[in-house]
Amino acid sequence: MSANDTAKKLLEVKNLQTWLQTGNETIKAVDDVSFSLNKGETFCLVGESGSGKSILALSIIQLLPVKISHHPGGKIFFDWRKQASFDSKATYETIDMLSLDEEQLCDIRGSRIAMIFQEPMTSLNPVASVGEQITEALLLHHPEMSDESAKARALKAMQEVQIKDAESRFDNYPHQLSGGQRQRIMIAMALACEPDLLIADEPTTALDVTVQAEVLKLMRELQQRKGMSILFITHDFGVVAQIADKVGVMKQGKLIEFGETRQVLAQPKHAYSQKLIASVPENLPKRSISSKSSDELKTLIETKNLDVFFPIRKGIFQRVVDHVRAIDDVSVDIHQGKIVAVVGESGSGKTTLGRAILQLQKPTAGSVKISGHELVGLSHNELKPWRKKMQISFQDPQSSLNPRILVAKTITEPMQVHGIGASDEERIELAAQVLESVQLDRDYLWRYPHEFSGGQRQRIGLARALALNPEFIVCDEITSALDVSVQAEVLQLLLEIREKRDLTLLFITHNISVVEYLCDETIVLKNGKVVESGLTADVCGNPQHDYTQKLLAAVPRLNIH
Amino acid sequence: MNDNTHSRSSGFMRRVLNKTFSGWGARIGLVWIIMLAIMAIFAPFLANSMPLLVSLNGKISAPILRYLTIEDIVVLLAFFTLLLLLLTPARRSLKKLFLYFVIALVIVTVATLQLVVEQENIVYEDFRTDLKTTQYDWVVMPPIPYAPQDYLRDINTLPLEAPLENKAYTHWMGTEENGGDVLSRMIHASRIALVIGLLATGIGMFIGVILGGLMGYFSGVVDMLGMRLVEIFESIPTLFLLLTFVAFFGRSIYIIMIIIGLTSWSGYARYIRAEFLRLRKQDFVQATIASGLPLRSILFRHMLPNGIAPLLVGATFGIASAILAEATLSFLGLGLVGAPSWGQMLNQSIQSSTFNWWMAVYPGGAIFLTVFAYNLIGESLRDAIDPQMAKKAGVVG
Repeated sequence: MSANDTAKKLLEVKNLQTWLQTGNETIKAVDDVSFSLNKGETFCLVGESGSGKSILALSIIQLLPVKISHHPGGKIFFDWRKQASFDSKATYETIDMLSLDEEQLCDIRGSRIAMIFQEPMTSLNPVASVGEQITEALLLHHPEMSDESAKARALKAMQEVQIKDAESRFDNYPHQLSGGQRQRIMIAMALACEPDLLIADEPTTALDVTVQAEVLKLMRELQQRKGMSILFITHDFGVVAQIADKVGVMKQGKLIEFGETRQVLAQPKHAYSQKLIASVPENLPKRSISSKSSDELKTLIETKNLDVFFPIRKGIFQRVVDHVRAIDDVSVDIHQGKIVAVVGESGSGKTTLGRAILQLQKPTAGSVKISGHELVGLSHNELKPWRKKMQISFQDPQSSLNPRILVAKTITEPMQVHGIGASDEERIELAAQVLESVQLDRDYLWRYPHEFSGGQRQRIGLARALALNPEFIVCDEITSALDVSVQAEVLQLLLEIREKRDLTLLFITHNISVVEYLCDETIVLKNGKVVESGLTADVCGNPQHDYTQKLLAAVPRLNIH
Repeated sequence: MNDNTHSRSSGFMRRVLNKTFSGWGARIGLVWIIMLAIMAIFAPFLANSMPLLVSLNGKISAPILRYLTIEDIVVLLAFFTLLLLLLTPARRSLKKLFLYFVIALVIVTVATLQLVVEQENIVYEDFRTDLKTTQYDWVVMPPIPYAPQDYLRDINTLPLEAPLENKAYTHWMGTEENGGDVLSRMIHASRIALVIGLLATGIGMFIGVILGGLMGYFSGVVDMLGMRLVEIFESIPTLFLLLTFVAFFGRSIYIIMIIIGLTSWSGYARYIRAEFLRLRKQDFVQATIASGLPLRSILFRHMLPNGIAPLLVGATFGIASAILAEATLSFLGLGLVGAPSWGQMLNQSIQSSTFNWWMAVYPGGAIFLTVFAYNLIGESLRDAIDPQMAKKAGVVG
């Protein structure tokens, strides 16, 4: 950025307060926040879930429902560019967004301040083609345009976001595009009217890391070309380090830290931002990886030529025409006491591999052995004795616990089935001990899952897995839905438990920094095939396969050199 | 923590019931259903032509007891067994309570059938003559001194008398075309309304949940065959099946109930199947499989409570439609002959040449209120089963 560009303030938020009304309760979602954003700058807003990041963004664009929200104080000054059409001369006027009426807001929204959201599937209308949706946004703000010129402009916007073959994509519907392409369309729609401020609410969180890298690169390029400002909301410090000029940290509605990115990341002033940045897996204290090489340890889980195919059926007779090869000829050995990571993009078969090992998904062919015993082909009842030895912990804290039964029942029922503990009282005592081992209160036994936070539920899920005293646990993206500080706690907890119990873990994740922190060995999956495997230090430090290299290069790192 | 050990023993269903009836809507519904239940259980004592108690020369007797039917006795004994079970101090789970009750019910029914002989051909007029001729010391009559089938032939009044028209003989809800007391018939008909709704829906739900659950959980071939069975049953028109059966086997309330139950399970099976298909892939169900829990527990402890919500709403409508199906049969003149039912009474109201409002309003209102009460309870039950939704809906305080 040159000095000239940055001289002018685009947005200035002064002592903004946004209070939300739920029933009789008032939540101070945004509390006395002040910051300013110059033209052409990228401002990253970081914070954990519930810290008020999104509410702040929605307050700026005035999209919060009037019924439940009000602003007891504060001002949002925006430098409004008034321009009749794309080519006419622009005049500028500084206005307070809070004092505008709905009509003026509609003029600003979309054309001067645009917004893109996290979930590209739900933010596009599934029954209109993507081209139509961009054109509609254009025509709304520029009624003077003809249909042809609007279409031409929409096509141009699609080309700008590097949609390949934009002409033919124009008539596609959202479901025909991939997640990354959909997010590009969202960006194209937002940029079609050439806004001065783009508010991006976690735009890359739902995307794979390689796609995220492309989208971030695209956003940077577009910003430089068009000179717009970006307010970027994220929880990922890696992304912050990649794109932000300025960064603000929010906690419980307050902006507790605001400054230049380098400065904030290197020397955070506030204790909370220090804790947050220290929780990033890259910054966690390095642990000593066990020195024993795999050869000395006995193999616990062994898969040979494992296949999981899902048939694709067509026609009235439901003939099987082809298969989706979710797991394709996978042979891995997992040694006792190791933490083995499975990484790969979404759809690479990571989760299916974990479930196929546990026989939750019946393999099409191949063998899975635990301590030398074949599992494939066993019935529900025959598997029962082996279930005790291998457990699973899930990604989504919302759906991983039965909402209808007490935590106590969730944990003790499997114990009862497997004959652990002589009486109900004894099992309750054991369950309480397991809860304590995942650092939860024993009183939590008498609560229902909805009373817990995401991190607590994840611990309960882990406690359920640990209750049977298993040898092997599949951790399926267990930290993906968690905030970074909670993730750090769960990771440390996992390491602690492993030390105590001599557990073997299969850790499925897409987060490379977590793998580097936690795992002894790494398996890289692509389209159901193992492309690379070995010690984490080797795979991540010196990747051999192209795909691994691409994957690693795409990871947003905190320390940019 | 000691306080909490108590809540552990209370179990899922008890907690849900407590929650369900903490809202006012369900309470009103419950009050109406309980009122109906009390009327149904004590119907012979509430409305009958014979005296409850008489004293003749210092000797007290209860003539009404001699004329109770087997059905009356079974219902009464069942009620007192339930009361006894509920009042015994030992805390039991709802499941055990239900089991004991069913066992007790079977014993009571068998014993009654063996021991009790029903009085046949009761002539109600005789009781009134008897009261006039015999010099009793005192007489306690039921609150409504007319039996439902007592057509008051000894009293020279017109049939279809409006409520409270006759000063000598009080008919709170008027009389019907044969001269029977409408209120008495309403009270006795509440039995049919309650039993047909609950039992027919119970049979339907029982079959539907088991078949639907298996279809949803196993999917694949089981699901394919199950759905074809559902389609076969859905293609059977219930009403015509009922007509046929009534024609062949006579007019029995039990046959009607069983047929309504056997033909209505397909709807419940569809609901449960859809829910189970959704739940099957949920993480917590996968976790139960990974823990090696038995199939029974996976299906009925973990999946069913999570999938039963739409079923309960369906069931409330099922109860309502079972009551209406019986009413339809009665309307067509194929309902029960002797015993009154609300539907049959509605039918009477349109058959007479003049419109007699009391013949339509009371049974119609009763059907409406009963259906409404079941809906209120079903709604609130659904919210109570989902702890998260309960807070939002404001049903649970």
